[in-house]
Amino acid sequence: MIKIKVPKLKMLDSVKLHVDALLTGAKEAIRPGTITIEYPRERRKLPDNFRGYILFSPERCKSCWQCSFVCPANAIKMELASNNRYYPSIDYAKCIFCHFCVDTCPVTALRPTKIHDVVYKDLEEMYTPTEGMVNPPKIIREEKYTVEYVVEGRDLILKRTREMDNLIPEIEPHAEVKEYSTCFDPESCLACGLCVNSCPVEAISITTVGQERRLKIDREKCYGCGICVNVCPMHILKLVKRPEEGG
Amino acid sequence: MGTQTETLEWRVKIPEKKIEGKAWLNLKKRVIDTGLCTHCSACALVCPVGGIISSPNQEIDFPEWEENCIDCGACIRACHRWEYTPLYDLGDYIDLTAGKSKRFKGQDGAMVTEFMASALEMGLIDRALFVGRDDEWRPVIYHIRSVDQLKNTRVTGTKYSYASVLPELKKAVEVTKKGVGVIGTPCIVTGVRKLQSEFKVFRDKINLVVGLFCMENFYYYQLRAYLEQKGVDLKKLVKMDITKGKFIATMTDSKVSFPVKEMDEIVPHGCESCTDFANVLADVSVGSVGSKAGYSTVVVRAEVGKKVLDYIKDKGYADFSKVNPEIIEKLTKLKKKRIKNIPEEYLSVAFKEDRKKNRENKENKENKENKENTE
Ligand SMILES: Cc1cc2nc3c(=O)[nH]c(=O)nc-3n(C[C@H](O)[C@H](O)[C@H](O)COP(=O)(O)OP(=O)(O)OC[C@H]3O[C@@H](n4cnc5c(N)ncnc54)[C@H](O)[C@@H]3O)c2cc1C
Ligand code: SF4
Ligand code: SF4
Ligand code: SF4
Repeated sequence: MIKIKVPKLKMLDSVKLHVDALLTGAKEAIRPGTITIEYPRERRKLPDNFRGYILFSPERCKSCWQCSFVCPANAIKMELASNNRYYPSIDYAKCIFCHFCVDTCPVTALRPTKIHDVVYKDLEEMYTPTEGMVNPPKIIREEKYTVEYVVEGRDLILKRTREMDNLIPEIEPHAEVKEYSTCFDPESCLACGLCVNSCPVEAISITTVGQERRLKIDREKCYGCGICVNVCPMHILKLVKRPEEGG
Repeated sequence: MGTQTETLEWRVKIPEKKIEGKAWLNLKKRVIDTGLCTHCSACALVCPVGGIISSPNQEIDFPEWEENCIDCGACIRACHRWEYTPLYDLGDYIDLTAGKSKRFKGQDGAMVTEFMASALEMGLIDRALFVGRDDEWRPVIYHIRSVDQLKNTRVTGTKYSYASVLPELKKAVEVTKKGVGVIGTPCIVTGVRKLQSEFKVFRDKINLVVGLFCMENFYYYQLRAYLEQKGVDLKKLVKMDITKGKFIATMTDSKVSFPVKEMDEIVPHGCESCTDFANVLADVSVGSVGSKAGYSTVVVRAEVGKKVLDYIKDKGYADFSKVNPEIIEKLTKLKKKRIKNIPEEYLSVAFKEDRKKNRENKENKENKENKENTE
């Protein structure tokens, strides 16, 4: 362990620092806006990878549940949608804005924004269903300037511009990996059918013929969400890459 | 673990039910309610909905089966008592020796521990399941991954209580890279073999099965009540042992002993119908009878066991001595008699056919002899 020592200041340095502080205070009193930002009329320039409100594109989502598995705050709940698929919802009362979900999503269905100033009336309202994640929240904005902190010498300067940067950065989506589920150890199958029941698009079927159960994965229907892979108690299913079309 | 092929279509044979109703009801009525269940817990291991409870304090049960059992039949496939093929005699072996480990302290010669420790060292397995205990001798399953963990004397030694080894085996098989080692009484080992015959993953991932000789085992809660009534303080208990017909409980400050015969009333039904003393399906069977005090009797049955034994000898990890097989055979004969406790209708077809053939052979032989005699 490294311990950082508190610098021992000489009397003279200490006096100097105090005078500095008083001067800074005086400066702000005479000419305001040199230290603080006048929110909400001004907006701080945020880095491009700022972790704020999360947006969701259902048309990209594969219902793979990875976002909900990875969330350390347990803020993501998968909700059953009317098309029988599961989509994420976020409880912002729990979310710690780590964006692990955004980073984990294999198909860029979750995207980051710089929006971080949403107001809620109560905790219940902070629960955001899937529909609420599709579009950015409606916020009445009054800001006229973007303010950027710049270090110059020993000073911190506030630079103001009229240019407003985009709160929703353009994100290049990942190239989509097309996969489907297969069984690599059928001799260990319990024939329990949990995979069949878990599949959101009915790509797996089980039929009983006499003393035999027949399982079948329809490669065309399967869209590679991997839910069955997670559900299978014997861990005998896995996703494999779909061969390139026409190649 | 072999090349794996990926498939989109496969078939699974499911067992024929004996009565109408869900598979669990079949297992319960045929195996558990009839007292044939050995508490091996293979059914609890496979049940995909995790509803079957294996606890040292009660019979195997699935309280919410009516709602939760999905009728897959996996439990029936895993159960070695559904179609019961009794096993008995000393069984085949390639080496028979008495051993005493120089490295570990165990029940007898700590050869069980030595086999698993050596298998770990050899890289044959990367984890072994041991039955350890808590402060009050409740069985606790340990996943042993290094030889050092075996210096803990709570992990070695005999616990005379049913232990839920098999449900842990599922977890072990899921994480292992090199393979798993299992230790068990004959029912556990028979359960492992049944799982291996039904589900490939257990064939692929279990590399060493060490079996214990066994006359009977007990439910923890019954053993505990019994011992307490005999004045045993389980917190002070350091060793339990059954030798020469006596149960000996050694405590830090005193000893209690009484004839095992007295315990007949708490011998579980599953053991009353078990005929396997020498653990005939194990790769290596280890027991106390047959060798002098402080030594374990080691019956090596499979090549893999021989390999480990050779390694132990090479490294000089153990001292060896002679075995008296007669006394083992005496006990195997004694236990074989329990076959009369198995109702005819529960014996497997394979067993009955075998028995029929044996009887016919015997009769033919006798007839021939009689003929020769009269001639
Ligand atoms: C219930 C029971 C009954 C037995 N009855 C006889 C008998 O009648 N005659 C006879 O000669 N031998 C019997 N044995 C075997 C004997 O007690 C010793 O376990 C054996 O001789 C090995 O001694 P060891 O010093 O080599 O083993 P150790 O090196 O001490 O290792 C023994 C290992 O057995 C495992 N074990 C302990 N308790 C259980 C349990 N309840 N279920 C599964 N695994 C367990 C543990 O993992 C332990 O590490 C019985 C064992 C048990 C568990
Ligand atoms: S979930 Fe797994 S074990 Fe159950 S039927 Fe599907 S593939 Fe077989
Ligand atoms: S779910 Fe399957 S394994 Fe579990 S009790 Fe029912 S039939 Fe048996
Ligand atoms: S013998 Fe084993 S598999 Fe069969 S019912 Fe009993 S615990 Fe379950």
